[in-house]
Amino acid sequence: MIVKIISDVERIGRNTVTIRFSWDQKVEPGQFLMVWMPNHSEIPISISHTGPLKGITIRSYGETSEAMIGLRKGDRIFFRGPYGRPFDIKPGRKLIVGGGSGMAGLLPLVDSRAYGVVSARTSSDLLFADRFAEGHVTMVTDDGTAGIRGFAIDGVKSLQLDEFDMMYVCGPELMLKSILDYVAHKSIPAQFSLERTMKCGIGICDSCSIDGRQLCTEGPTFSKEELMGMHEFGTTRLTESGKRIQIGRH
Amino acid sequence: MVHTDTTVAGIRLSNPMMLASGILDENGYTMLEILKKGAAAVVTKSIGTSERTGYKPPVVVPIQGGLLNAIGLANPGIKNFRGEMEIALRGNKPVVGSIFGATADEFLQLALDMEEYGATAVELNLSCPHVAGYGTEVGSDPQLVEDIVTTLKSKLKIPVFAKLSPNVTNIVDIANAAHKADALVLINTVRAMSIDIHARKAVLTNRYGGLSGPAIKNVGVRYVYEVRKETGKEIIGVGGIENTNDLVEYVMAGASAVQIGTALYTQGKDIFSRIEANLEKFMEAEGFNRISEMIGVAVE
Repeated sequence: MIVKIISDVERIGRNTVTIRFSWDQKVEPGQFLMVWMPNHSEIPISISHTGPLKGITIRSYGETSEAMIGLRKGDRIFFRGPYGRPFDIKPGRKLIVGGGSGMAGLLPLVDSRAYGVVSARTSSDLLFADRFAEGHVTMVTDDGTAGIRGFAIDGVKSLQLDEFDMMYVCGPELMLKSILDYVAHKSIPAQFSLERTMKCGIGICDSCSIDGRQLCTEGPTFSKEELMGMHEFGTTRLTESGKRIQIGRH
Repeated sequence: MVHTDTTVAGIRLSNPMMLASGILDENGYTMLEILKKGAAAVVTKSIGTSERTGYKPPVVVPIQGGLLNAIGLANPGIKNFRGEMEIALRGNKPVVGSIFGATADEFLQLALDMEEYGATAVELNLSCPHVAGYGTEVGSDPQLVEDIVTTLKSKLKIPVFAKLSPNVTNIVDIANAAHKADALVLINTVRAMSIDIHARKAVLTNRYGGLSGPAIKNVGVRYVYEVRKETGKEIIGVGGIENTNDLVEYVMAGASAVQIGTALYTQGKDIFSRIEANLEKFMEAEGFNRISEMIGVAVE
């Protein structure tokens, strides 16, 4: 395990923190770490800050992430990585679509010209909407407490897609599926970062696989064209035991 | 003319390489992909009678010379595995169903289900080193091993492979107890552990795990050699194979075929086609026409 001292913990929303630490390692947007909390578990976390001062953004949703958001400046952080195929960044204007904590892995892509569709269940779960330039963001909430009432796809449908050179999407798989279905036969190129049950992080345990490809090594980013040929995308996945289940609505 | 096909327990393999149990073999689509990439056969993840989530991560630790793992026999349960078998069998190559149980009866029920699902053979996991009541705990009891193998051989139509553990005092005793098996698979992982000196504790949640990869290759070669010499049984060699020379070493020690697992982490899925191409070159240069001419040539 790699061990680093936490230099700062920034609270950025409800149950959500960004942990910062110095790490002299090249990391590209879209990559992730396997972060170990001794006495708890090890979970994949996307890297939200890829400069010399690295950062990971964690929303508590389970026992291990709950423990992780309790870490403080000066504590140690244990991890393996960086892992995963990064986004293939294209020059030009970016459309960034994030659902829930999926915005964390998209943050390194945000620049002054980027436009964001930031979605969440409710307004207090919206993440990093404030990092886009003024007038460059559409917020969407399931319950209508901020922005458009609806899902990320509704935010995407409200835009002129031909203004953008590449679309980068991260969030729950059904959200990705709804967006893929919408842009499949449009000219805008798109890349999607997937989230599935992950255990090893190094391409051997088969927990995170989709159509024979491992999210942890061959993903988690996939192009629109790659996903269009996949049977498992948006339909089924394996649980921790390896049992195949239908992907439910998030 | 060089032929790299081989036969083990009457099963024809287009080359001597199978995917080892436990690596990339719980999702049917992944097994299909591995077959497309050049494996002659795949062995499934070990499947038990009921669903198990396994241990909490960390379940795998990359270390010098290989990997340490304690997945904890995570599996969906045999009834939920039918669909994955159906997908894997679309590859039109042998699919070996790995099973684990605590008793001969459990093994029999699992094996009959695997046979019904279309498995080409069953591989008995008598050697998982990290779950109480299963694996090595079963596989180090010669009487129990004999009961299991005898029961299965009397009821199954498909061949039975017995995968044995190196974590026993005398592997030949266990190999003899499993003599009715159609082939022996040697070796499973070597019991090991890793401690993080900054966290001051074992990295694996289960603390103990199984070591695989190049670090155990020469342990595996020795077991294959010893068991081949002492029993003359057909053997499938496994443990640390990551190139053609490793494969040939196992074959010359007495293996009719081999399994590859950890090298998928270090070498990627193209390892099967790469080794096959180099194997042809090796055989041509060394004057071997068939794999059978190499099996056990080093045994004396």
